[in-house]
Amino acid sequence: MLHRTAKPFFKPSRPCAELKLGHRSLYIIPSRFGVLWIAAAGLLLLVAIQTGSNSTLLLAFVMLGLMVLAMFLTHDTLQGLTLRCAQPSPTFAGEPADYPVQLESSSARPRCSLRVQGHVVVECDRIAAGTTTLSLPWIAENRGWQLPPPVLIETIAPLGLFICWGRWQPQQPQLIWPRRRPGPVGETHPPRSRDGLEEWQDLRPVREGERPALVDWASAARGRPLQAKVFNDPEEPEVILAPASGVALEAAGEHLADRIWRLHHSGACYGLQIRTITLAPSKGVRHRDACLEALATV
Amino acid sequence: MSHQRHASSLAWWALPPLLLQCIALNWSAPLTWPTWVLVLCALFKLLECRRPFERRLVALLQLLSTGLLAAQLQGLLASVLQLVAVLLALAGLLGHELAGALTFRGFLQRSLQLLAAALPLALVLFLFVPRLPPLWTTELGPARGAVSGLSPDLDPLSIAELTLVEGSAARVLLAEGQTLPMDAYWRVLVHEQFDGRRWQHRDPPVSRGGSGPPRVGEGTSQWWVVEPSATRAVPWDGSALTTSPDQWITPEGELLVGVASRQRRSFRLQSTQRVADWQQRPPVSSERQSPPDSLPRLKALARQFRPLPTGRERLEAVESWFRGQPFRYSLQPGAVADLDAFLFDQQEGFCGHYASALAALMRAADVPARVVSGYQGGHVVQPLSGNPYLELRQRDAHAWVELWLEGEGWQRVDPTLWATTTGLPAAAVVAESGQRQEENVPWWRWLQWQWWGLDLAWTSWWLSFDQASQQAWLQMLFGAQLRWLGVTAVVSGFVAVAGGWLVLRMGIRPRSSLVQSLRLLTRLGVVPLQGESFPRLCRRAARMHPDRTTLLEAMADQQQLLAHAPLTPTQRRHHLRQWRKIRSRLGRRR
Repeated sequence: MLHRTAKPFFKPSRPCAELKLGHRSLYIIPSRFGVLWIAAAGLLLLVAIQTGSNSTLLLAFVMLGLMVLAMFLTHDTLQGLTLRCAQPSPTFAGEPADYPVQLESSSARPRCSLRVQGHVVVECDRIAAGTTTLSLPWIAENRGWQLPPPVLIETIAPLGLFICWGRWQPQQPQLIWPRRRPGPVGETHPPRSRDGLEEWQDLRPVREGERPALVDWASAARGRPLQAKVFNDPEEPEVILAPASGVALEAAGEHLADRIWRLHHSGACYGLQIRTITLAPSKGVRHRDACLEALATV
Repeated sequence: MSHQRHASSLAWWALPPLLLQCIALNWSAPLTWPTWVLVLCALFKLLECRRPFERRLVALLQLLSTGLLAAQLQGLLASVLQLVAVLLALAGLLGHELAGALTFRGFLQRSLQLLAAALPLALVLFLFVPRLPPLWTTELGPARGAVSGLSPDLDPLSIAELTLVEGSAARVLLAEGQTLPMDAYWRVLVHEQFDGRRWQHRDPPVSRGGSGPPRVGEGTSQWWVVEPSATRAVPWDGSALTTSPDQWITPEGELLVGVASRQRRSFRLQSTQRVADWQQRPPVSSERQSPPDSLPRLKALARQFRPLPTGRERLEAVESWFRGQPFRYSLQPGAVADLDAFLFDQQEGFCGHYASALAALMRAADVPARVVSGYQGGHVVQPLSGNPYLELRQRDAHAWVELWLEGEGWQRVDPTLWATTTGLPAAAVVAESGQRQEENVPWWRWLQWQWWGLDLAWTSWWLSFDQASQQAWLQMLFGAQLRWLGVTAVVSGFVAVAGGWLVLRMGIRPRSSLVQSLRLLTRLGVVPLQGESFPRLCRRAARMHPDRTTLLEAMADQQQLLAHAPLTPTQRRHHLRQWRKIRSRLGRRR
C-alpha cells in the first residue's frame, strides 16, 4: 500500500479544517493490476480475432467494459467523503503521534487506506455511514505547534483496477513537546510555603466514600462533574527545574522534558523556570502538560 | 476472517468448471497447452498466494483461461461452464476488496450486477466494432488424438470386416422451412492418388485468405457441428458457400474449416443451388493416372470400353457390366487380395471396394476418376427444443466415385447402388441411413439427441453473428452511410457506460428495510439524532407530520417486532411485507 500511490507532483493544497472529496480533489490512474487487466483483454481480443470465437470476443469486451466501469466505481468509493480534523493530543517529538481524523459519509463505503504522507498506512476495511474516527500515526521531528504532512486517502475498491486518491492538508496543528532526552537540568529548591491544606494543586475524579470536604463544590455548581481536590503535602520536597547552565536551549528543553516526565511519574512536586516563564511547583497532569507546553513553545 | 475465506473459496470454486473444460480439450491443439498452463498457474498461485495483488492475479488468470477455453469450446455446456467460471472469478475479485461487506451470496449477486453493468458496453463493442479476419494462419493444427471416422487413406482391400461405429460424426441444422435431405451425399475427402491398392488423400496446404471474402445473403444457412476427426476437411453438400475467412474450399471440392480438426468444430455455411467451381475444374494428371500393371484383368476389361467415344458411354457400359455380374454387398467380405480378385473372383464387398474398383476401371478406360469418402444419408432427430436436425453417424460413412465427363464436369457415381439393385441382402445398409428411425431408442440416446438439439440451437444462435453477419447487419443499419458507424459506436458506448453505471448505482442502494425507512424519513425532513431509537424517531416524525401519525407508528411497530419478537421465518416475511407496504404508502403521501 505504501508504494501504490504516485508521489505527489504538485504542491500541497492550503490547510483546511475539512475537505469534501470530489472531482477537484480526487485523482485516479490505472493500478498495476489494471494494466495487466488491459493486457489480458488485449490478448483475448487477439485470440478472438485469430479463432473467430464470439465468446472470447465478448469476454474481452466485457473485461474492457469492466475496466471503464471500475474507473467510476473506484472514484465513487471516495467521492463525497468528508475529512475533518479532530482535536489531537500532544506528544513528544521523535515519538509516534496519533493524528485524529474524522471521516463523514452518508453511506457505507468499501475499503480504503489513509496515511500521513511518509508515514504508516492505516487500513479502513469499511467506512460505515455516519462519522468514523481514525488515528493516523506520524512522527514529528520538531517541537511546538506542528501541522502534520498532508493526509493521503486512497482506495482501489471494488475491483483493484484503478487507484483513486486524494490529498488533504489538515488545518489543526498538533502540540509537539520537546524530544525526551536524559541530561543535566538546573534545580533549585524554593522556600516551603506553609499554605498546606489551604491550597489545592490539582483535581482528580471523586472516589467512592470521599470526604465531602475534598470535593470541589464550586466547579460542580458550574455544571462540571464532581472532582476531588489534590493537596500538596507540606512536608514534600519541591524543586524548580531550569535549563542547565552551558547547555543550548534546545538540548536543555529536551533534558527538562525528560526530567518533567519522570518527576510526574514519581509523583514529585516540581516547578519550571525557563526564560520568562515561571510555573510554581505543583503536580498532576495539568501541571505536567503546562510545563511541557511551556517547553514546546518557548 | 470468514469473509476472507469466502473470497478465497469463490476463487477455488471457479477452478472446477475450468478444469472440466480443460479435460475436454485436445492435447494436440495449439491453444490447449497455454490453457492448461494458465489454469494450473491459477491453481498453484491460489495455493500459495498471501498478498491481495496475488489473489487478484488468480482471478485474472482464471478469466484469461476462460477466454482461451471459449476460443476452443463453443458448445452449450462449455458456454454455461465458461459463464459460471467468469461469474465466480469476478466474485473472487470483488471479495478481496469488499471483504467484510458482503456474504457469499452477496458476492455472487454483486458479480452478476457487475457483469450486467459491463454487458451493455461489451455488446456495443461486439456489435459495432468491425471484425477482423485472422491476422495470420498457421499449420499448427492438431495432428494427433484418438478419433474415429474417415481416414485419409482408403484401403478397403485390407479390411476383412467393416465395423459400424455408433459415434456421431456431425450434426446439421438447416434454416427454418428447409427440408432436411435424408439421402444426400455429404462429401469430406477426395482420394485421387492410387497405388494399385490404396486410394490416398493429399492434404492441401493451408490457404491464406480462405475462399475469398465471405458471401452474404446468397442463401439460407446451414449450421454444422462436426465432431473431432482425423482430417481438416469437414462434411458438406458440395455446393454451399463459405461464410467466414477460416473456411475454404479446395480445388478438389473439400471444405476445410480452421486448422484444428481434432476438436469439435462449429461453423455456418450458406446453401446455394449454383454449380460449384470445383465441379468444373479440369482433371489434373494424378486424376488421370492409369492403374499399375499389377491389375492385368482389370486393365483388360477396361480396354473393352476404351473404343467408346465419350466418357458417358464408357460409364454406361461399365455400369451394365457391373449390373450383369453377381456382385453382393457384404460387411464381412473377408480379405481381398487385390481389385482383380474383387472384380472377377470374390465379387463381394462394401462401398470402399465398389468405389475403388470403379474408379480404377474408369481410369484404365481413360476416364479421369477419383474416390470420394464422406457420409450418406443421416438420421433426422426431432428434439423437444425446436427444429429438427440431421445427425450423421460414423456408420453413415460411405465412399463413391467422381468421374470427369466432357461437358458435364465432375459427376458423382455411386457403384454400391448397382450392387443394391442386384437384390443383395446387405446392400440396404447403404441406403437405409435416411430411414434409420430406431424404434427402440435407449434413454441415454434420447437424452443425447435432446441435448444436441439444444446445442445446435445455441450454436446457430450464438455463432450466427460472425464477420459476414456483422457486415450485413451494419449494411442494413447504415446503408451507404457507413461513416456514421464511428459516431454511433461512440455515442452508444457512452450511453452503455451510463446505463451500466446506473445499474450498479441501483444495485448499491441499500436494501435493508431499516435503512430504506431512514432514507424515507430523511426525505421527510426527520434526521436521526445521536442515540435516538427508531420508535422514538418515528414518534418525532409523527409530531412533525401529524397527518402520517398512524403510518409512522405502524412502521415503528413492525420494526420493533422484527427486531425483538421471536418470529418464525413465515412471520418474519409477513412483517417485512407489511413494513414494505407501509413504506410505500408513506412514500406515496409525500
